[in-house]
Amino acid sequence: MKVTVRYFARYRSLVGKGEEELEIPNGITVGELIEVLKERHPALRDEVFAEDDDLADVNVSRNGRYVSFDEVLRDGDIVALFPPVSGG
Amino acid sequence: MLSERELERYDRQIMIFGREGQEKLKGAKVAVVGVGGLGSPVAYYLAAAGIGTLLLIDEQEPELSNLNRQILHWEEDLEKNPKPLSAKWKLERFNSDIRIEAFVGHLDESNVDEVLGGVDIIVDCLDNFETRFLLDDYSQRKRVPIVHGAVEGTFGQVTTVVPGITKSLREIFPNVRGKKEKFPILGATAGVVGSIQAMEVVKLLTGIGEPLLNKLLIVDLAFNTFDVVELR
Repeated sequence: MKVTVRYFARYRSLVGKGEEELEIPNGITVGELIEVLKERHPALRDEVFAEDDDLADVNVSRNGRYVSFDEVLRDGDIVALFPPVSGG
Repeated sequence: MLSERELERYDRQIMIFGREGQEKLKGAKVAVVGVGGLGSPVAYYLAAAGIGTLLLIDEQEPELSNLNRQILHWEEDLEKNPKPLSAKWKLERFNSDIRIEAFVGHLDESNVDEVLGGVDIIVDCLDNFETRFLLDDYSQRKRVPIVHGAVEGTFGQVTTVVPGITKSLREIFPNVRGKKEKFPILGATAGVVGSIQAMEVVKLLTGIGEPLLNKLLIVDLAFNTFDVVELR
Protein backbone atom coordinates (compact mmCIF):
# COMPACT_ATOMS: atom_id res chain seq x y z
CA MET A 1 0.00 0.00 0.00
CA LYS A 2 1.02 3.61 -0.39
CA VAL A 3 1.20 6.33 2.24
CA THR A 4 2.35 9.93 2.09
CA VAL A 5 4.82 10.95 4.79
CA ARG A 6 5.16 14.63 5.63
CA TYR A 7 8.19 15.96 7.49
CA PHE A 8 8.12 19.03 9.70
CA ALA A 9 10.77 21.33 11.16
CA ARG A 10 14.18 19.70 11.59
CA TYR A 11 12.93 16.43 10.13
CA ARG A 12 12.31 18.30 6.90
CA SER A 13 15.89 19.60 6.88
CA LEU A 14 17.34 16.17 7.68
CA VAL A 15 15.33 14.36 5.02
CA GLY A 16 15.75 17.17 2.52
CA LYS A 17 12.10 17.36 1.46
CA GLY A 18 8.72 18.20 2.88
CA GLU A 19 6.95 15.01 1.88
CA GLU A 20 7.28 11.77 -0.02
CA GLU A 21 5.07 8.91 -1.10
CA LEU A 22 6.17 5.48 0.10
CA GLU A 23 5.21 1.91 -0.75
CA ILE A 24 4.95 0.02 2.53
CA PRO A 25 3.67 -3.42 3.61
CA ASN A 26 -0.10 -3.64 4.14
CA GLY A 27 -1.40 -2.99 7.61
CA ILE A 28 1.77 -1.88 9.34
CA THR A 29 1.63 0.39 12.37
CA VAL A 30 2.98 3.91 12.85
CA GLY A 31 5.81 2.42 14.92
CA GLU A 32 6.73 0.04 12.10
CA LEU A 33 6.62 2.88 9.59
CA ILE A 34 9.09 4.78 11.77
CA GLU A 35 11.45 1.79 11.51
CA VAL A 36 11.12 1.93 7.72
CA LEU A 37 11.90 5.64 7.79
CA LYS A 38 14.98 5.12 9.97
CA GLU A 39 16.32 2.67 7.37
CA ARG A 40 15.48 4.98 4.51
CA HIS A 41 16.86 8.13 6.15
CA PRO A 42 19.72 7.27 8.53
CA ALA A 43 19.94 10.94 9.56
CA LEU A 44 16.61 10.54 11.34
CA ARG A 45 17.90 7.55 13.28
CA ASP A 46 21.19 9.15 14.14
CA GLU A 47 20.09 12.62 15.02
CA VAL A 48 16.47 12.62 16.00
CA PHE A 49 14.67 9.42 16.91
CA ALA A 50 15.57 7.72 20.15
CA GLU A 51 16.80 4.13 19.89
CA ASP A 52 14.20 3.10 22.44
CA ASP A 53 10.84 3.52 20.71
CA ASP A 54 9.09 4.25 23.96
CA LEU A 55 11.19 7.34 24.32
CA ALA A 56 11.05 8.47 20.71
CA ASP A 57 10.92 12.22 20.68
CA VAL A 58 8.51 12.45 17.76
CA ASN A 59 4.85 13.31 17.41
CA VAL A 60 2.83 11.67 14.67
CA SER A 61 -0.48 12.51 13.03
CA ARG A 62 -2.47 10.31 10.66
CA ASN A 63 -4.82 12.16 8.31
CA GLY A 64 -4.60 15.24 10.49
CA ARG A 65 -5.28 13.50 13.80
CA TYR A 66 -2.73 12.88 16.54
CA VAL A 67 -2.04 9.13 16.96
CA SER A 68 0.07 6.73 18.99
CA PHE A 69 2.72 4.35 17.65
CA ASP A 70 0.38 1.33 17.67
CA GLU A 71 -2.08 2.94 15.24
CA VAL A 72 -2.52 0.76 12.12
CA LEU A 73 -2.07 2.52 8.79
CA ARG A 74 -4.21 2.17 5.68
CA ASP A 75 -3.65 2.73 1.98
CA GLY A 76 -3.68 6.42 1.10
CA ASP A 77 -2.99 7.67 4.61
CA ILE A 78 -1.13 10.92 5.12
CA VAL A 79 1.27 10.59 8.02
CA ALA A 80 2.99 13.68 9.43
CA LEU A 81 6.03 13.62 11.70
CA PHE A 82 6.81 16.62 13.81
CA PRO A 83 9.25 17.12 16.67
CA PRO A 84 7.95 18.76 19.82
CA VAL A 85 9.97 21.95 20.13
CA SER A 86 10.66 23.47 23.51
CA GLY A 87 12.30 26.85 23.04
CA GLY A 88 10.81 30.12 24.17
CA MET B 1 -16.50 50.56 33.48
CA LEU B 2 -14.33 51.76 30.63
CA SER B 3 -13.20 55.38 30.74
CA GLU B 4 -13.57 57.74 27.79
CA ARG B 5 -9.84 57.42 27.25
CA GLU B 6 -10.07 53.62 27.18
CA LEU B 7 -12.99 53.72 24.76
CA GLU B 8 -10.85 55.82 22.43
CA ARG B 9 -7.69 53.81 22.96
CA TYR B 10 -9.37 50.48 22.20
CA ASP B 11 -11.82 51.83 19.61
CA ARG B 12 -10.57 49.69 16.71
CA GLN B 13 -10.81 46.41 18.62
CA ILE B 14 -14.10 47.28 20.30
CA MET B 15 -15.33 47.17 16.68
CA ILE B 16 -14.49 43.42 16.82
CA PHE B 17 -15.80 42.28 20.21
CA GLY B 18 -17.74 45.23 21.60
CA ARG B 19 -17.44 47.11 24.90
CA GLU B 20 -18.45 43.92 26.65
CA GLY B 21 -15.40 42.14 25.23
CA GLN B 22 -13.14 45.02 26.22
CA GLU B 23 -14.53 44.91 29.77
CA LYS B 24 -13.63 41.21 29.90
CA LEU B 25 -10.05 41.99 28.91
CA LYS B 26 -9.91 44.72 31.54
CA GLY B 27 -11.24 42.40 34.20
CA ALA B 28 -8.72 39.65 33.48
CA LYS B 29 -5.42 38.75 35.06
CA VAL B 30 -3.03 36.94 32.73
CA ALA B 31 0.34 35.44 33.67
CA VAL B 32 3.16 35.50 31.11
CA VAL B 33 5.58 32.82 32.26
CA GLY B 34 8.95 33.41 30.66
CA VAL B 35 9.64 36.97 29.50
CA GLY B 36 11.97 36.12 26.62
CA GLY B 37 11.49 35.52 22.91
CA LEU B 38 7.83 34.53 23.18
CA GLY B 39 7.07 36.46 26.35
CA SER B 40 8.13 39.76 24.78
CA PRO B 41 5.53 39.85 21.97
CA VAL B 42 2.93 38.16 24.17
CA ALA B 43 3.27 40.74 26.96
CA TYR B 44 3.53 43.61 24.48
CA TYR B 45 0.35 42.70 22.59
CA LEU B 46 -1.60 41.81 25.73
CA ALA B 47 -0.64 45.19 27.21
CA ALA B 48 -1.71 46.84 23.96
CA ALA B 49 -5.03 44.98 24.05
CA GLY B 50 -5.79 46.27 27.55
CA ILE B 51 -5.58 43.14 29.70
CA GLY B 52 -6.30 44.61 33.14
CA THR B 53 -3.48 42.89 35.01
CA LEU B 54 -0.38 41.23 33.57
CA LEU B 55 1.84 39.11 35.79
CA LEU B 56 5.34 38.71 34.34
CA ILE B 57 7.43 35.81 35.60
CA ASP B 58 11.11 35.11 34.93
CA GLU B 59 14.28 34.64 36.92
CA GLN B 60 16.91 35.80 34.44
CA GLU B 61 18.53 39.03 33.42
CA PRO B 62 18.81 39.72 29.69
CA GLU B 63 22.07 38.90 27.91
CA LEU B 64 23.37 40.39 24.68
CA SER B 65 22.61 37.20 22.74
CA ASN B 66 18.93 37.49 23.80
CA LEU B 67 18.39 40.74 21.95
CA ASN B 68 17.90 39.21 18.49
CA ARG B 69 14.42 38.20 19.66
CA GLN B 70 13.57 39.43 23.16
CA ILE B 71 12.31 42.80 22.03
CA LEU B 72 11.11 44.06 25.41
CA HIS B 73 14.71 44.15 26.64
CA TRP B 74 17.16 46.82 25.56
CA GLU B 75 20.92 47.27 25.73
CA GLU B 76 20.60 49.32 28.90
CA ASP B 77 18.97 46.34 30.66
CA LEU B 78 21.76 43.86 29.93
CA GLU B 79 22.92 41.93 32.96
CA LYS B 80 21.25 44.54 35.14
CA ASN B 81 17.47 44.53 35.15
CA PRO B 82 15.76 41.14 35.61
CA LYS B 83 13.47 40.44 32.66
CA PRO B 84 10.14 40.96 34.49
CA LEU B 85 11.32 44.39 35.74
CA SER B 86 12.83 45.39 32.41
CA ALA B 87 9.53 44.54 30.70
CA LYS B 88 7.40 46.15 33.42
CA TRP B 89 9.23 49.47 33.03
CA LYS B 90 8.44 49.64 29.33
CA LEU B 91 4.91 48.30 29.47
CA GLU B 92 3.90 50.75 32.19
CA ARG B 93 5.02 53.60 29.95
CA PHE B 94 3.29 52.02 26.98
CA ASN B 95 -0.07 51.58 28.68
CA SER B 96 -0.62 53.32 32.01
CA ASP B 97 -4.24 52.12 32.20
CA ILE B 98 -3.22 48.56 33.05
CA ARG B 99 -1.44 46.99 35.99
CA ILE B 100 1.86 45.14 35.59
CA GLU B 101 3.00 42.78 38.32
CA ALA B 102 6.42 41.14 38.32
CA PHE B 103 7.75 37.99 39.95
CA VAL B 104 11.52 37.63 39.73
CA GLY B 105 12.40 34.09 40.67
CA HIS B 106 12.13 30.42 39.86
CA LEU B 107 8.71 28.80 39.82
CA ASP B 108 8.61 25.50 41.69
CA GLU B 109 6.17 23.35 43.60
CA SER B 110 6.66 25.32 46.77
CA ASN B 111 5.63 28.69 45.33
CA VAL B 112 3.50 28.03 42.23
CA ASP B 113 0.16 28.22 44.05
CA GLU B 114 1.02 31.50 45.70
CA VAL B 115 2.56 33.15 42.63
CA LEU B 116 -0.20 32.13 40.19
CA GLY B 117 -3.11 32.63 42.62
CA GLY B 118 -5.90 34.68 41.05
CA VAL B 119 -4.62 34.27 37.50
CA ASP B 120 -7.32 33.64 34.86
CA ILE B 121 -5.05 32.42 32.03
CA ILE B 122 -1.43 31.25 31.98
CA VAL B 123 0.63 31.93 28.85
CA ASP B 124 3.46 29.43 28.53
CA CYS B 125 6.45 31.24 27.06
CA LEU B 126 9.01 28.97 28.71
CA ASP B 127 12.10 27.36 27.20
CA ASN B 128 11.87 23.98 28.97
CA PHE B 129 9.32 21.25 29.55
CA GLU B 130 10.19 20.70 33.18
CA THR B 131 8.63 24.01 34.19
CA ARG B 132 5.89 23.57 31.59
CA PHE B 133 4.77 20.42 33.37
CA LEU B 134 4.76 22.32 36.67
CA LEU B 135 2.36 24.81 35.04
CA ASP B 136 0.38 21.91 33.57
CA ASP B 137 -0.09 20.28 36.97
CA TYR B 138 -1.17 23.61 38.46
CA SER B 139 -3.53 24.15 35.53
CA GLN B 140 -5.19 20.77 36.01
CA ARG B 141 -5.46 21.21 39.78
CA LYS B 142 -6.86 24.74 39.71
CA ARG B 143 -8.75 24.54 36.38
CA VAL B 144 -6.83 27.42 34.82
CA PRO B 145 -6.25 27.41 31.02
CA ILE B 146 -2.76 27.43 29.53
CA VAL B 147 -1.86 28.89 26.16
CA HIS B 148 1.19 26.86 25.16
CA GLY B 149 3.76 28.09 22.69
CA ALA B 150 7.24 26.92 21.75
CA VAL B 151 9.73 27.85 19.04
CA GLU B 152 12.95 26.67 17.47
CA GLY B 153 14.64 28.05 14.39
CA THR B 154 11.93 29.05 11.94
CA PHE B 155 9.42 26.65 13.48
CA GLY B 156 6.86 26.86 16.25
CA GLN B 157 3.79 25.29 17.81
CA VAL B 158 0.75 26.60 19.70
CA THR B 159 -2.12 24.89 21.48
CA THR B 160 -4.55 25.93 24.21
CA VAL B 161 -5.19 23.65 27.18
CA VAL B 162 -8.51 24.00 28.99
CA PRO B 163 -8.79 21.48 31.84
CA GLY B 164 -11.85 19.27 31.50
CA ILE B 165 -12.17 20.07 27.78
CA THR B 166 -8.78 19.37 26.21
CA LYS B 167 -5.81 17.13 26.76
CA SER B 168 -3.18 18.34 29.20
CA LEU B 169 0.37 19.22 28.13
CA ARG B 170 1.60 15.98 29.69
CA GLU B 171 -0.86 14.04 27.53
CA ILE B 172 0.04 15.95 24.36
CA PHE B 173 3.81 15.72 24.88
CA PRO B 174 4.42 12.49 26.81
CA ASN B 175 7.96 11.83 25.64
CA VAL B 176 9.79 15.12 25.58
CA ARG B 177 13.31 14.77 26.77
CA GLY B 178 14.78 17.10 29.33
CA LYS B 179 17.19 18.87 27.07
CA LYS B 180 17.91 22.52 27.50
CA GLU B 181 20.80 23.18 25.19
CA LYS B 182 21.31 26.29 23.10
CA PHE B 183 18.79 26.22 20.28
CA PRO B 184 18.67 28.30 17.07
CA ILE B 185 15.96 30.98 16.95
CA LEU B 186 15.09 34.05 14.90
CA GLY B 187 13.18 36.97 16.41
CA ALA B 188 10.49 36.97 13.75
CA THR B 189 9.66 33.32 14.52
CA ALA B 190 9.05 34.18 18.17
CA GLY B 191 7.10 37.24 17.01
CA VAL B 192 4.69 35.18 14.91
CA VAL B 193 4.20 32.42 17.48
CA GLY B 194 3.90 34.87 20.39
CA SER B 195 1.35 36.92 18.46
CA ILE B 196 -0.73 33.78 17.91
CA GLN B 197 -0.54 33.08 21.66
CA ALA B 198 -1.73 36.63 22.42
CA MET B 199 -4.61 36.06 19.99
CA GLU B 200 -5.52 32.85 21.84
CA VAL B 201 -5.78 34.79 25.11
CA VAL B 202 -8.05 37.40 23.52
CA LYS B 203 -10.22 34.65 22.00
CA LEU B 204 -10.56 32.82 25.33
CA LEU B 205 -11.48 36.00 27.19
CA THR B 206 -13.86 37.60 24.69
CA GLY B 207 -15.36 34.44 23.17
CA ILE B 208 -14.63 35.44 19.57
CA GLY B 209 -13.55 32.80 17.06
CA GLU B 210 -12.27 29.35 17.93
CA PRO B 211 -9.26 28.88 20.19
CA LEU B 212 -6.85 26.03 19.41
CA LEU B 213 -8.67 23.59 21.72
CA ASN B 214 -7.49 20.02 21.13
CA LYS B 215 -5.67 21.38 18.11
CA LEU B 216 -1.95 21.84 17.71
CA LEU B 217 -0.93 24.55 15.26
CA ILE B 218 2.46 23.87 13.76
CA VAL B 219 4.12 26.63 11.79
CA ASP B 220 7.25 26.56 9.68
CA LEU B 221 8.01 30.04 8.45
CA ALA B 222 10.91 28.88 6.27
CA PHE B 223 8.44 26.90 4.15
CA ASN B 224 5.28 28.99 4.70
CA THR B 225 3.38 26.11 6.29
CA PHE B 226 0.62 26.43 8.88
CA ASP B 227 -0.87 23.05 9.82
CA VAL B 228 -3.47 22.21 12.45
CA VAL B 229 -3.33 18.70 13.92
CA GLU B 230 -6.36 17.33 15.75
CA LEU B 231 -5.33 16.15 19.22
CA ARG B 232 -8.53 14.29 20.15
